[in-house]
Amino acid sequence: MDDRILIDARGITKTFPGVRALDNVDFELRAGETHILLGENGAGKSTLMKVLSGAYAPDEGDVRIDGQPVETFDPRVAQRMGVSIIYQEFNLIPYMDVAQNIFLGRFPKKYGLIDHKKMHADAAALLHNLNMHVDTHTLIADLSTAQQQMVEVAKALSIKSKILIMDEPTSSLSERETEQLFATIHQLNAQGIGIVYISHRLQELQEVGHRVTVLRDGQFIGRKANREVTVDELVGMMVGHSVHDMFERDFQPQGAECLRVENLSNGKRLRGVSMCLHRGEIVGLAGLVGSGRTDLARAIFGVDAYDSGQVVLFGEAVRNLDASDMVARGISLLPEDRKNHGLAMILPVAENIVVSSLDRLFPRGYVSRDRESAVALQYVEQLRIATPSTSRLAQYLSGGNQQKVVLAKWLCTKAKIFIFDEPTRGIDVGAKAEIHAFMNQLVKEGAAVLMISSELPEVIGMSDRIYVMREGRIVAEIPHAEATQERIIEYAMGADEVRQNRIQAETTRGKGES
Amino acid sequence: MRTNGAALLLRVPSAAWVILLMMTVFTAINSRYLTLDNLVNIVLQNAVLLILSLGATLVILSEGIDLSLGSVLTLSGVTCVLAMKSLMASGASNGLAMAAGVLVGLLTGTLMGLVTGALVSLGNMPSFIASLGMMGVGGALALVLADSTAIYIDNPVFSFIGERLDKSIDGPLLQYLSMPAFIAAAVFGVVWVILYHTPFGRYIIAIGGNESGARLSGINTVSAKWMIYVAAAVLASISGITLAARLEAADSIVGVGWEFDAIAASILGGTSFAKGKGGIGGTVLGVLVIGVTRNGLNVIGVPSLWQPALTGTIIILAIVFEIIHSRWKEGRR
Repeated sequence: MDDRILIDARGITKTFPGVRALDNVDFELRAGETHILLGENGAGKSTLMKVLSGAYAPDEGDVRIDGQPVETFDPRVAQRMGVSIIYQEFNLIPYMDVAQNIFLGRFPKKYGLIDHKKMHADAAALLHNLNMHVDTHTLIADLSTAQQQMVEVAKALSIKSKILIMDEPTSSLSERETEQLFATIHQLNAQGIGIVYISHRLQELQEVGHRVTVLRDGQFIGRKANREVTVDELVGMMVGHSVHDMFERDFQPQGAECLRVENLSNGKRLRGVSMCLHRGEIVGLAGLVGSGRTDLARAIFGVDAYDSGQVVLFGEAVRNLDASDMVARGISLLPEDRKNHGLAMILPVAENIVVSSLDRLFPRGYVSRDRESAVALQYVEQLRIATPSTSRLAQYLSGGNQQKVVLAKWLCTKAKIFIFDEPTRGIDVGAKAEIHAFMNQLVKEGAAVLMISSELPEVIGMSDRIYVMREGRIVAEIPHAEATQERIIEYAMGADEVRQNRIQAETTRGKGES
Repeated sequence: MRTNGAALLLRVPSAAWVILLMMTVFTAINSRYLTLDNLVNIVLQNAVLLILSLGATLVILSEGIDLSLGSVLTLSGVTCVLAMKSLMASGASNGLAMAAGVLVGLLTGTLMGLVTGALVSLGNMPSFIASLGMMGVGGALALVLADSTAIYIDNPVFSFIGERLDKSIDGPLLQYLSMPAFIAAAVFGVVWVILYHTPFGRYIIAIGGNESGARLSGINTVSAKWMIYVAAAVLASISGITLAARLEAADSIVGVGWEFDAIAASILGGTSFAKGKGGIGGTVLGVLVIGVTRNGLNVIGVPSLWQPALTGTIIILAIVFEIIHSRWKEGRR
């Protein structure tokens, strides 16, 4: 690490409608340094990364790349200044070979045609430098994820990038591949390349990175040298001690069990998940994005098949039933992505509300428009959905009201179990409180709620019990009374393992000395 | 007042404007165009295409496509007429033979639809490919069964369902009414009820609007998609049987290219390949655009070799207008 400063970002502020994604954030990267950007979901990591790589222009603040002030925020300008970004989803073309992907759009030419010989030779040299030994004629589709990632790195190096931004680069790598990646990162650092490493895995901090910057709720919390900071300090920085939102929740004694999941496994996404849900309770499902929360919900609901294990619904074992059968049995799912999964945006509110209950409402098979509107109106009034009429298309409603339409759809089916996936994401404060009140009302009336949420105050404030997931497993069950943000984050990010490893290491060292 | 006028212009579907324009142009060129007789003729000529197009619209509404509908039309006509002929040869009455023939024709369509639908829904095959394959299969079966010719049928009861009413019944004004028009109107009514007043119809639109959303709403999308292709094929066989009755023959290649007319009629009527937009009301207008154009080119005496080129051009222009028209409409929201 030398003293040349590659990125110097000061006072970066970026606002989106309703959200202040970044608020006066500073960031610095030196040549030859790996700088970790740490924070919870929604802390502002992605936004900062997009500002640095030119995808977003900040509302306020200055960015200097290698001493040069950035005037135009444009990904191509950033690239020319030496910034490359590697997203979790790679930008590679699966049915083109390695060399073509590396030089896509910048093919070496001879007589106006692509100079294949030079292209493959150059590609091979780049890969050699990264210790990757693969034929440059191999198709991307035939490579492992780790190899594809290396091709992305090679692509960045081929345009002489000085700065590499990597977004959770280890999220889909095996342990061995992760070690190799770290070796490559050290090597790139040694060549003077600066790396911004976005992560929310605390385990990795011991193995990679020189400094760490922590963001929380869009704010710069602190910058520390890796060696001088403890896991507990970092968790404290990420969580903060912000005001607890007020949640109105009437806790009541647990009712009968209505849903039990036994040892559910689905490839890498779910690895033997067991859990249960009782009538009259809200159970929170916490964990990082990608920890398997949504996969669990989809498997229970019958949209994704599972390899082994079973679901017991109201005492009856069911295995891999289709979603239509699960709905008939009284279960419902309010998906995170309302636009693409929850609603038919181009259909009227009324049709969206009754679509899952047509057989119940119209047993004779003739759908009467009048009855449909009347039923829909009842829910529009009950849930106070703000719409001029039930014939309004769903796409013209606000996010909060769309969410209420999804809820109305399931109330209309007379569902007894409600799985909410990020129920209040992207919803304004007023509608949020209303949705929380409806959830409270639902369980008071004997329904059961499983709530997936990345917002810890919501999870803690609303849940009777909280399950924490990490890497496809449930790693903890925490009762309401014992739930704190720190505990959940520790389990979700694997801080418990880090600590255990340290204790183990210390006891072995202790034994060695004695 | 101007804004009201513009709003009115936009509320009338684009295909209606096209029809109006074409009729004006044709009438200006040849005054014989705008006679009651010719208009009745247009309806008679296009009743069969309408029935077929309704099926195509259902499939397109669900974000699929069915290229096999023309082949199903041909094949159903052939099996219907063959069954009828063999029954008549063994001495069955005209009425009984017709009933049996129609049943066989409908069954043929059902079977074809079951296969196409299974490939798409259970087999998860792109509808384009599945129906392209079935288009070949159906077309070849028709050629083989009919020995690659036309099979003529002489059954007055059967012929009745393809004729103007004045040919069989005496009475005032009957020359203006025809069985194919009645059948098409009845089929339209039934499809209307199915599409807009049954759960199945709602599922078609929900799947087209957002298939994964439909699935997450607990709709059995597999069985719904399967039934869409069955419904379309049954409609194709109704059109095939009606056409055979009108021609008093089952031709082994009569339906070639009809699937594209049916798809074009759906698109002209404002049904979109994306998001379940559109409906069968527009399809009627879409069929009329095609019908009015074909008939008009004949009446004004365009050489028949040139007609397909002109029809194609007019369809493309009409669709361009439909795209612009719907953009204006979006803009006013």
